[in-house]
Amino acid sequence: MEMSKKWSTAIIFVLLTALITACGSSSDKTTPSDNSGQQTETSAPKDGGNLIIGVGADPVILNPNYAGDRVSLTIDQSLYAPLFQVNNGKITYYLADSLTASEDSMTYTLKLKSGLTWHDGQPLTADDVVFTINSILDEKQNSMFRGNLIIGGKPIEVSKVDDLTVAFKMPQAAPAFEATLVQLTPIPKHIFENEADIEKSTKNNTPVGSGPFKFKEYKTGEYVTLERFDNYFGGKPHLDTVTYRIAKDTNAANLALQNGELNINYVSPQDAPTIEGTGNYDLMPYSEGRLSYILINENSDLGVLNKKEVRQALGYALNRDELITAAYLSSEYADAAHSFLTPDTLFHTNDVATFDNDPAKAKELLQQAGVTNLKLRFVVKSGDKTQEAIALYVQQKLKDIGVTVEVQSIDASALNSKVYSSNATDFDLSVAGYIMGFDPDAYSILFTTDNSSNYSHYSNKQVDELFQKGAGESDATKRGELYTEAQKLVAEDAAIYPIAYTKTIVAVDKRFGGIDEAVLKPVVIFEDLSKLYMK
Amino acid sequence: MRQLIVKRLAQTIPMLFFVSIVCFAMIKLAPGDPVMSFVTPNMHAEDIERIRHNLGLDQPAYVQYVQWLKQLLSGNLGYSLINHQPVLDQILDRLPATAGLMACAIGLAVMIAIPLGLVAGANRNRWPDKLINLITYVGISVPLFWLAILLIYFFAIKMHWLPSMGMRTIGVQSAADVLKHGILPCTVLAFGFLAVYVRYIRSSTIGQLKEEYVLIQKAFGSSRYTILFRHVMKHVLLPIITLLGMSMGDLVTGAIVTETVFTWPGIGSLGMTAVRGMDYPVLMGITLFSSVLLILGNLLADILYGFADPRIKTMR
Repeated sequence: MEMSKKWSTAIIFVLLTALITACGSSSDKTTPSDNSGQQTETSAPKDGGNLIIGVGADPVILNPNYAGDRVSLTIDQSLYAPLFQVNNGKITYYLADSLTASEDSMTYTLKLKSGLTWHDGQPLTADDVVFTINSILDEKQNSMFRGNLIIGGKPIEVSKVDDLTVAFKMPQAAPAFEATLVQLTPIPKHIFENEADIEKSTKNNTPVGSGPFKFKEYKTGEYVTLERFDNYFGGKPHLDTVTYRIAKDTNAANLALQNGELNINYVSPQDAPTIEGTGNYDLMPYSEGRLSYILINENSDLGVLNKKEVRQALGYALNRDELITAAYLSSEYADAAHSFLTPDTLFHTNDVATFDNDPAKAKELLQQAGVTNLKLRFVVKSGDKTQEAIALYVQQKLKDIGVTVEVQSIDASALNSKVYSSNATDFDLSVAGYIMGFDPDAYSILFTTDNSSNYSHYSNKQVDELFQKGAGESDATKRGELYTEAQKLVAEDAAIYPIAYTKTIVAVDKRFGGIDEAVLKPVVIFEDLSKLYMK
Repeated sequence: MRQLIVKRLAQTIPMLFFVSIVCFAMIKLAPGDPVMSFVTPNMHAEDIERIRHNLGLDQPAYVQYVQWLKQLLSGNLGYSLINHQPVLDQILDRLPATAGLMACAIGLAVMIAIPLGLVAGANRNRWPDKLINLITYVGISVPLFWLAILLIYFFAIKMHWLPSMGMRTIGVQSAADVLKHGILPCTVLAFGFLAVYVRYIRSSTIGQLKEEYVLIQKAFGSSRYTILFRHVMKHVLLPIITLLGMSMGDLVTGAIVTETVFTWPGIGSLGMTAVRGMDYPVLMGITLFSSVLLILGNLLADILYGFADPRIKTMR
């Protein structure tokens, strides 16, 4: 026994020494090794070069009519050109040349650029746009965008005027149609015309798009490679290829980034300093148009969360700035939120009621509401560091006003079926978030009575009415007033506790330029990859 | 011999049936609703019901099971709920990557485990045994993902000797390139297997050393080395057949964590994605596939035993 103990100690010591020396070795190379064998030494913007972007999973489907996951959307952004994009209320036209609405918002006319082609050389015309819209509307094709094209229970009507012109007829005035159309991307009619089920078509495995890069190769579980499309209408892209490399494990992705095996990837605030420390990456935090908030379940069987005074009291007990630091480490990565509309949304105002940092007032409100010994169940997704940090902070702060919080950490799919179901009563608080786009009408599903995504089960007749009026109001000023009023009411009711408009951090290899022209974009990273180049 | 094979084959049928029920039931009981992966916030309740109906998920569980089994018997493992590709194709597509990796890892582990196990067994409770024990305990206790990250950090980031992820350099198609990418994941997996194999061989060596033939060899004046690596090893190799048979299931699912960390495009990472997306058909396909391999592996081991050890044949 004596002997063995000595031996094990000795061995552990040797192992430890080896490890420490290994980690402490300062023989770091300053340039990342390039395993793909491409090396560039030039500094002037030029053509050529290969870009590797890390993605967290395999793409589900490379067809924009069906893509709903982040990875597919990211790849589709380069593969399929959109009609147009909207950033901070400004339109940038891609395939489209113009979009004009009639005075009454009943008809929209879309003009396409001339001379557009698909990657296989076929012309891209109004027929493709009409085909795309009609196949989304076709119930048998199961496109998730179908609901967007149904307005007031009736489908919109689409027709070809001439080869470059498409007319959309609304069943009722629809000022938010631009926000619907921005999400839709034409798919080629000549490829999918006779497919009984486009979603299951094998043609999705070799997509033919119209974007700056065309499909080259997909190795399941490994990578998707796209190559330059020389006839791209926005001008020949600079890079030769773009590869989306699948890296499912976050730690492994960070190591690959440090090793130069990825050029671009998302990083969490926690990992940001390490990546920045390599000196090879620029870290770019940018707004995703996302609100992160504490969801308050008004359906809870406690029966008190449907009182707005109680919800306001919960808000008063917390300090938003502290909460942001606890959850997102730095205010650099998240802006304090008051309104349910994100700052990139039309008519957003942060100048609304907010219940913040006043524990005395919180106690008073609870007393007034006659609530004592309140015990709340806070469900969080297990393993999600941000959600756990938020829950622990809330637990600690609510204790000061005499409210007990029990944090329940549960598995992601169990959490989804609990929190996003229509009738769960056995939880009180959770952390949630959404990205809804730039038109406030899209938010109606979150806050109008009994709507599918109204996870808080919030109900206020006035708010319902405002959303309904807003959807049909074509006068921008009047529309703005309606949505400002809605924001004030929802805030006053403390329907949710808005935490922050969060930012995404993306690390970009310093050897690449043209970042500003490519435009950082929520979900898809870059709006137009044709603008990126190797320095 | 033939009778033995037929008998063993017949025994596998109820086993497979049982496995199919168990894996179907477990997945049914798991939380989460696969319909949710088709649902967007803009959908109405009727749309959601329509999708549920189209997928057959509104039927009672036993109907779903019978439907699934019927298709299964005609060679159709169904379609993924997420990307709508045939399950069998997806599994077969990823099988070579996993099987290659696991075969290397198991081969490596066996090759190292045999001498280590023999030495440990022959020196029972003396220092070489303690040292080898320590290594195996570390192998059992260290989480493989941690070991993987450690190796990546050292060999890829610090030394730049090996790539940190993937199975190929993008666009390169060569065996050497795949091998280079395989070194780290293979080492990690082998380390995990090694521990179990060494323990197994060690105890079997201890048993063999008590046998009479060892005494006789000693009496004849054979050296310890000859006894161990000539005579004892032959007998110790027999249980390795069982061990390998049991590892057949691992060929498919043994590398979920390691594959995910190294982004190795095998069945393990396919399974991981399926779990996250509640992709029932893919999960059932993988579970069933690995169960079948495990059962067949054991069957094969039994039959091989018959050839390797004549005593088995006579024992019916």
